[in-house]
Amino acid sequence: MSITSLTFVVFCFVAILAYRFLPSHYRTGWLFAVSIGFLFTWAWDLAAILLVVATVNFYMGRWLEAAASRRRFLLWTGIGFNILVLVALKYSGFYVSALTSLLEHMGVQTGEGGLKLLLPVGLSFITLQMISYLVDIYHKILKPEPRWLDFALYVVYFPKLLSGPVERARTLLPKFKQPSPLDASAVEQNVWLIAVGLLRKLILADTLLNIIPAGIFLRPESYAGQDLALYLLAYAFVIYNDFAGYTSIVRGVSGFFGIELTNNFKLPYFARSFTEFWDRWHVSLSHWLRDYIYFPVSRTLAKKDPNREHFVHLIVPPILTMLVSGMWHGLGWNYLVWGGLHGLYLFFERITTRRGPRRLPDEWPKWRQVLSALVVFGLVVLALIPFRMDLVTAWHYLSRMFTPSAWAKPDLWLLRRYLAGNAPIDNWADFKLPDVRVLLALIPALWLDWNQHRYKSETFFMNWPAWTKGLFLAVVVLALLLLSFADIGAPFIYQGF
Amino acid sequence: MIKAPPQKKSALTVILSFIFFLIFIAASTELIARTPWVEKISPYRSVGNFHYQFEIKWFRLLDYVKQNGGVDVIILGSSLVNTGIDPDVMAEAFYKQTGVKLRIFNFGVEGLTVASDSITVKLLMERYHPALLIFVTEMGDFVAGHGQATETRFLADPWLQYELGNFNWSGWVVDHSAALQHYLPYRNWMRADFLETMPIYLVRNKNTSTSGYEPDFAYGRDLDANPDPNDPNEAAYFQEYGNYQIDPARLGNLRTILDLKQNNGTPVLIVEMPVHPSFYVYVGGEDVHKQFQQTLAAFIQSNGGVFLPAGACDSDIPLFGRSDRWHLNFRGAPIFSNCLGRQLSILANQENTDFVNVNTDGSK
Repeated sequence: MSITSLTFVVFCFVAILAYRFLPSHYRTGWLFAVSIGFLFTWAWDLAAILLVVATVNFYMGRWLEAAASRRRFLLWTGIGFNILVLVALKYSGFYVSALTSLLEHMGVQTGEGGLKLLLPVGLSFITLQMISYLVDIYHKILKPEPRWLDFALYVVYFPKLLSGPVERARTLLPKFKQPSPLDASAVEQNVWLIAVGLLRKLILADTLLNIIPAGIFLRPESYAGQDLALYLLAYAFVIYNDFAGYTSIVRGVSGFFGIELTNNFKLPYFARSFTEFWDRWHVSLSHWLRDYIYFPVSRTLAKKDPNREHFVHLIVPPILTMLVSGMWHGLGWNYLVWGGLHGLYLFFERITTRRGPRRLPDEWPKWRQVLSALVVFGLVVLALIPFRMDLVTAWHYLSRMFTPSAWAKPDLWLLRRYLAGNAPIDNWADFKLPDVRVLLALIPALWLDWNQHRYKSETFFMNWPAWTKGLFLAVVVLALLLLSFADIGAPFIYQGF
Repeated sequence: MIKAPPQKKSALTVILSFIFFLIFIAASTELIARTPWVEKISPYRSVGNFHYQFEIKWFRLLDYVKQNGGVDVIILGSSLVNTGIDPDVMAEAFYKQTGVKLRIFNFGVEGLTVASDSITVKLLMERYHPALLIFVTEMGDFVAGHGQATETRFLADPWLQYELGNFNWSGWVVDHSAALQHYLPYRNWMRADFLETMPIYLVRNKNTSTSGYEPDFAYGRDLDANPDPNDPNEAAYFQEYGNYQIDPARLGNLRTILDLKQNNGTPVLIVEMPVHPSFYVYVGGEDVHKQFQQTLAAFIQSNGGVFLPAGACDSDIPLFGRSDRWHLNFRGAPIFSNCLGRQLSILANQENTDFVNVNTDGSK
């Protein structure tokens, strides 16, 4: 069940209505039941796998709490179990074909098409949550959850199931027990969150995604330099609006249950430093990486050498953290390069800013803020090249984009003849003009971000007069209606991670 | 009196203004779309069907009927009809023989076979009540599964289903909204291939005459050389047409078209398209073709129709009048159309009719 489908709307409506009318002691059970129901719409075996993961971690947490000795061993066993499940199911593409041929070589028939392992939706996100749960218990920051049902709900809670946010047990579990009241202002806030999410996903991300030619990330050598640059820019807004849209929708849905989820995106393309970027982009993941990779690595290094200005201290934590982030997105050299690039960005930023007094970006002069934001944005977009394609293609893409001779000159003479009716044309590409549709689609995307930045609120519409809200909603609904006639449609990009 | 809390009042105002603006924007767009100004700047219309050539023909016929007060003869068939028959030339030839000016429209649509046309014909008859229906066919039409993929997609369209009497809101809205019909040609504006497909659509729209004829400017190469079964480019055709059999289901579709005479009193003329003789190599030779003609002629006759076999006109068409083994080009189409007009006059004489539609307003 896609979260942008009408079926999901009906599903949520029934789930919320029943949740609000149920006595409070039945609510956890109800949320668990609807989450399992949601999982069943994908595949029943997904529910089975996730419940096994939940049960193992539930008991691991209790043993970890009760154990007087060998706690470290128990912790690593738990972490190992979660990583093993993730590797076994998510990265099966790397070994299943070899395993299939090995089994068939040994005379074991694996059936048509060979072995196929099921990838539970959201497993990457759940793995991180399970690891943080065990680590927090180990460090005695968190008491293990005494009720299996509450813990299982933490694992399978449907609004965050598909692509996060990566919620910590210590913040989410108390919310299940004491959900916020749903007053009129909360309802309005949730409605607007969902509206912004749909706007980002269905109108901005899907539109831009469909404009990008499918072949550009496969055969960049067939495209002009300016097309490569323009469509890369479009892709940067696709991936951002797609994921930010998803997060807004699920936060709005969860808000109706009185359970607030983490805001994963805080206008990342307005970041004025890479540190700030990772404080704004996929916040729940980057904070997880900071707390469970970056800080522990820094502490370990500090124990060995307290001089924090040492080169190793400056380079190892960011590079290692971002490499893990890359591996989490997928097991491929391209993801490692993407992570490595971001690690290097952070490293160079630390080197250049370690001298002199530390000032927050807000205290910088305006020109420096704008310039820094542009530089950060440009480098983040360039790093998307290896994120999106294999390394060989990424190299072709990058080198062609920066080759001046690969930039085609617009054929304005042909355009003039065409407009005068003197030149028949069967492909717009013959004019060698930039794809204006990208620029048109970027206008509402930038408008939305700019206003969220200006009013420092993601639901800035709430401050508008009532009639303006009505007008805005009408325009969004009509735009969705018109887009529904097109032969397009795309799943959420981050569902693949 | 108890006052509503401000937040509830505000929510109500948002909902009411949302409804107001929704209706206001939709209604004003609809009003603007119906002005001649919009018609002038964007003459293209669509009903959201994947088959844009069908849509070109659909709206061209609508305009034709508006301008001419009705239509006398509708010619139905595939791309062979689209590029192979110029109704104006045909009407002229008929006029020369009979002195009667017929209003003829070419409704040939690429990829549509006897199966999908047996459905299209219902829509056309219901709306326009022509005095004669000409269905142009060839052997490929009767191969089981030929054109199935196009047919399936074509029939799945909500608007088409609505037109066929299967009510659905999407079809209803598209059928009644001029604004949507003007928007829908551009509905895939965000698709990567739009900048390639839209110019083709515009060119084809421009090239299609008011009576539905679209000239093909290509010339066929090596048409008089028989196709080679070992040529990889020909393999698909040999596979499709080899072991030629007439599919009984397709004959059933043809019966639906022929039944128009019984159901509506509209005479039906079935014309076999004069494809190039080398085409018959695919199906197994001229003998197979002759057998096909015999079977078809007997079937048409037993169902009250008239059959005009390919031989009636094909000797007139020169090799340079063809764009491939199937299609006629802009040189061949007028020759065939002229012949067809003359043949029609003979039929009119035999049937003692002039095929003029007595319904002056053919529109629905």
